Amino acid sequence: MAMNTGAADLAQLQATMQAIEVACHAMQMHVNPAAAEATIVSLRESRRPYQACQFIIENSQMANARFQAAGIIRHAALREWGLLEADVRRGLVSFCLCFIMKHATLPDGYVLVKVASLGAQLLKRGWLDFTAAEKEAFFIQVKQAVSGVHGLDVQFVGISFLESLVSEFSPTTSSAMGRPREFHEQCRISLEQDYMKGLYSWVQHAAFNVSNRITEADSEIPEIKVCSAALHLMLQILNWDFQSKKAGENSKRGLDVFCDGKQESNSLRRFECTLVQPGPEWRDVLISSGHVGWLLNFYTALRKKFSCEGYWLDCPLAVSARKLIVQFCTLTGAIFPSDSGHMQRQHLLQLLAGIVQWMEPPDAVSDAIKSGKSESELLDGCRALLSLATVTSPLIFDELLKSLRPYGTLTLLSAVMCEVFKDLMTNHTEEDTWSSEARDILLDTWIVLLMQLDASGHNHSLPAEGISAAADLFAVIVESELKAASESAFNDDDEHDYLQASVTAMDERLSSYALIARAAIGSAIPLLTKLFSERIMRLHQGRGISNPTETLEELYSLLLITGHVLADEGQGETPLVPKEIKSHYANVLEMDKHPVIMLSGSIIKFAEQSLDPVVRTSFFSPRLMEAVVWFLARWSLTYLMPSEESVEHRSSYENCNDALLRSKHPTNALFSFSGENDRGKIVLDIIIRISLSTLVSYPGEKDLQALTCYQLLHGLVKRKSIITHLVTLDSWRDLANAFANERVILSLNAAHQRSLAQTLTVSACGMKTPESSNEYIRSLTSHMTAYLVELSSKNDLKAIAQQPDIILLVSCLLERLRGVARASEPRVQNAIYQMGFSVMNPVLTFLQTYKDESVVVYLLLKFVTDWVEGQIIYLEAQETAAVVEFCMRLLQLYSAHNIGKISVSLSNSLRTADADKYKDLRALLQLLSNLCSKDLVDFASEPIEAYGTNISQVVYTGLHIIAPLITPELLKYPKLCHSYFSLLSHLLEVYPEIIEQLSVEAFSHILGTLDFGLHHQDVEAVDLCLRAVKALASHHYKDRGAGKIGLGSHATSYNDPNGNFHESVLSRLLRSLMQLLLFEDYSTELVSSAADALLPLILCEQSVYQKLASELIERQTNPVFRFRLRNGFQSLTTSNNLSSTLDRINYQRFRKNLHSFIEDVWGFLHIV
Amino acid sequence: MSDEEHHFESKADAGASKTYPQQAGTIRKNGYIVIKGRPCKVVEVSTSKTGKHGHAKCHFVAIDIFTSKKLEDIVPSSHNCDVPHVNRTDYQLIDISEDGFVSLLTDNGSTKDDLRLPTDDALLTQIKEGFAEGKDLVVSVMSAMGEEQINALKDIGPK
Repeated sequence: MAMNTGAADLAQLQATMQAIEVACHAMQMHVNPAAAEATIVSLRESRRPYQACQFIIENSQMANARFQAAGIIRHAALREWGLLEADVRRGLVSFCLCFIMKHATLPDGYVLVKVASLGAQLLKRGWLDFTAAEKEAFFIQVKQAVSGVHGLDVQFVGISFLESLVSEFSPTTSSAMGRPREFHEQCRISLEQDYMKGLYSWVQHAAFNVSNRITEADSEIPEIKVCSAALHLMLQILNWDFQSKKAGENSKRGLDVFCDGKQESNSLRRFECTLVQPGPEWRDVLISSGHVGWLLNFYTALRKKFSCEGYWLDCPLAVSARKLIVQFCTLTGAIFPSDSGHMQRQHLLQLLAGIVQWMEPPDAVSDAIKSGKSESELLDGCRALLSLATVTSPLIFDELLKSLRPYGTLTLLSAVMCEVFKDLMTNHTEEDTWSSEARDILLDTWIVLLMQLDASGHNHSLPAEGISAAADLFAVIVESELKAASESAFNDDDEHDYLQASVTAMDERLSSYALIARAAIGSAIPLLTKLFSERIMRLHQGRGISNPTETLEELYSLLLITGHVLADEGQGETPLVPKEIKSHYANVLEMDKHPVIMLSGSIIKFAEQSLDPVVRTSFFSPRLMEAVVWFLARWSLTYLMPSEESVEHRSSYENCNDALLRSKHPTNALFSFSGENDRGKIVLDIIIRISLSTLVSYPGEKDLQALTCYQLLHGLVKRKSIITHLVTLDSWRDLANAFANERVILSLNAAHQRSLAQTLTVSACGMKTPESSNEYIRSLTSHMTAYLVELSSKNDLKAIAQQPDIILLVSCLLERLRGVARASEPRVQNAIYQMGFSVMNPVLTFLQTYKDESVVVYLLLKFVTDWVEGQIIYLEAQETAAVVEFCMRLLQLYSAHNIGKISVSLSNSLRTADADKYKDLRALLQLLSNLCSKDLVDFASEPIEAYGTNISQVVYTGLHIIAPLITPELLKYPKLCHSYFSLLSHLLEVYPEIIEQLSVEAFSHILGTLDFGLHHQDVEAVDLCLRAVKALASHHYKDRGAGKIGLGSHATSYNDPNGNFHESVLSRLLRSLMQLLLFEDYSTELVSSAADALLPLILCEQSVYQKLASELIERQTNPVFRFRLRNGFQSLTTSNNLSSTLDRINYQRFRKNLHSFIEDVWGFLHIV
Repeated sequence: MSDEEHHFESKADAGASKTYPQQAGTIRKNGYIVIKGRPCKVVEVSTSKTGKHGHAKCHFVAIDIFTSKKLEDIVPSSHNCDVPHVNRTDYQLIDISEDGFVSLLTDNGSTKDDLRLPTDDALLTQIKEGFAEGKDLVVSVMSAMGEEQINALKDIGPK
């Protein structure tokens, strides 16, 4: 600080330095750190501490003190920057630069780094203030340093300054400066446009110059440090988020081959590979200058020296060089001229020529790694292949290597990958080996390549050589998977949880295997068929002689792989036959020779054997059966009786490819195997019989049964074309019969029984006439309802009901009825209504009998809720009356059992009462909402009022009954809270007139919950409450205006006979809302809805409002605030021509008024 | 579906039985189970397999409903477990004697005097305080496998 130097007292500087040194020492030794920190903070917060700090940085012997001093400068300068004079700012930056140049040999590197980064930060902070000449001056100094004229140390320091600078200017790594985003953006653009390329060429030269000396030396020399720093900086600059990247994405001029459809196809990638896209102005530096050639040669030279001292495969210099080479592979965009990709191809070819040396020959490289060589070169090679795949099309990717070798890049890729899989096979048990990492990178490479084929939409395929490479690879993959399977067959599933977690990862892996298999579908399908039949043969030959477990596990993996190859997952849609399969087998006309049919057929035949009890016990373990069921579910979604539309869609799709005639046949070949014909029905029949056997013959195997119920059967009944055939099959009737009569089905998990009931009910829609559908439902449910009716009318019900077997039976039947109710459709509505109607009384009886069995109670409530939901809109007036009456009795009964019950159980671990209640109440609220919907949608032939049903009345009564059960504790459950308040606000908005009929207790309880809701954390809950309050108050105001009673007695304040004052509900709400708005924390998005609630409240309770306002004004002691508050209240109710009507315009005006009122007074009301 | 009566016939006359067999796979969390001769409430069920291609087995963690002791058991899913018949009866509380026994009013008007106050502190306090305040208290008595205990309290009357 030149201008202060004269005035500065050396002694005082010394004293400050000593104080800071003492503080730093204390901090290091951890003696009284608070005091030490206070010393540092006081210097940091003092005005212009620069001179003292610079003195410390230059003179202190203590590295830590220098470090702290640099930090203090940063803090103070960023704080005071706006006030500093131009020369002071400049002085600070040049101090930093001079210091690092002068002390380049300082042993404490971190001080240098800190000062360099301080310089970079200050330079950025002043970037828009400094003149071009000033900046130029700084950069000349740096350039000289980087060029090496002041020696290696200064050169290194110069490079590391640039590194700080670049990272400071890159938005993702910049440090906070308290400046707006735009500032950072401007700095970034400016640096990129005016300096970046210059910086790159400086380091490029620096690296070039030192590299010669490195290649000549045969031991470690200081140049290495400079060179790796330079390479690192180049990498950093290439990672910069170039402007032209964004521009390039919009205009794909002349480079379509290279960037076509890349963006969307990369979604599957696990390894991020950022593309380097500097603009055309970088062409001379990066491409024409021979820079890449130099880099490759340099690395080749380095490779030869790995035996020398100081050099090895993973030394920082080699690592940086390889990283930079890989980075260059992703170079793309406008930097290449529009010469139809010629220059880019040259560039990639040059790189590939260097890179193949790292991977070839794959077997030798792999052997070397196994005998101890570092794997990093191979892994970098894999990454480079991934980068190449990202910037090229599969064809060009393959072509690249052909100019160097007799084979293409795909062959190399496949060969490397085969080696990787061979290694995986030998030590698959270990996690995180080099081979598993290489496998993931290379799989991604395949995905990137194959997805491009997929996305391009034409019937492109890989070049012939690529196909055979994919085929070889797939064979190795399957071999390794099978080996892994047979070796792990005897592992005990102790890590069950861990396996669950890795299922998704496995699914992802299998999908990429399937992509590879489909690329070589012609050999993949026969391979799978062969492996499959081999395993089955082995199974039969070894029957009774050898343990089949290994073979079973192999079959398990084969089924998973085959399922992925043959069919897609669908994800809720109907998946089509994969187009590779369709187009490849376009010429196969006979069904018996269609490889896909042969494979599917042999699997289905194998699965069918599970129906034989003897074979089942010897081969079909639950786990194998899981794979069988999974496969059948996946396969049948695509191949079994495809619906007409998708068949048509298929042929129209192929029309586009001018191959109509040929392509009709493969669909037909597949279709004649499993379409809507006799053969298709045979397959369907087999599948149904297998499902029945998994449900009946595998007692207690929940996972298997879950797969059968949720995946296989649900998938089948989702399709119209299937259910019409389904209901004609004997096997389906057997299933329905077993469901109705077999005791063993009652031992299924209750949720599975529900799902099964739902599935069977859905299939009823496949019957020809509505009558037969309804008859089917009746026969399906009559035994269940009959049993429930009979049980409920037993005299000794109370005694036997608690028996565990009866409880189990009742809950299973209720779950089943619930499943049936959930499948309500107009066609079978009547039968399902009858079903529910017949168990109305039993349900009430059971609710009474099982009041202490929370599980049964919950099931009862859920059944009624689901049944009402499915039925209500279709019910005729008379039926509605019956249902409503039933629901009311249910609510009353539930309430009677639960009100006033102090639930205390024996120990904390048994205390689930709260959670049980919460679930019950949610079901009841749901029931009320379902009843409400009758008012909105009604398909009945006459209005329900004809039978004296008034939905609003009903729902209010319901609310009246359950409101006392809703306690603030229970409202802490977010879902319950939300459904309660949405029901409440809906009721008050739609039927406010009913409120006056509620008793005082019931209403005050509702009010209590409203008040609780207003102060809730959840914005949505508060909003719902505000809507309810608005509805209440505006109803009252409008009604009173029309001369009616409005909320009646609830809205009047009075003194009861005991002399207690009862405040009107509206004034209570007004008080509460004002309190909330003025003194509590709330989200500002609530102000508008609060205004909507507040306006009618004020209008209703004018006098209370006036009193409140004047109380608040009186409370202000500060006259200024008091004045502002008075004005605020004044304009809240008068400005914007606010009138006393409740129309939309007035609401809007009041919203504005309230917003400005809050802005005006909230701040100072909160301070006091 | 003709023989449904036969299948769903309940063992209404088997009231003497204290436990019932039930397939292990169907016993759920919050259900009851007998482990080592004690009636328990299940707090955790997990399933696993005996070897990869073996059968499923259930692992139960349960709590003795009378002593609150934790017990565990592993059973193949397809095998039967014993499930206790747990009964709850509500009685009006008439008196608490000094030696810790309570006097309860049964449905048929006689009294039941063989039950002790519960050991659980929270429940005990509630009962004693409620009784001292003269409230009408109804206690729920849980019984299973020949044991009985007061396990819940319901306050029906005004103060």
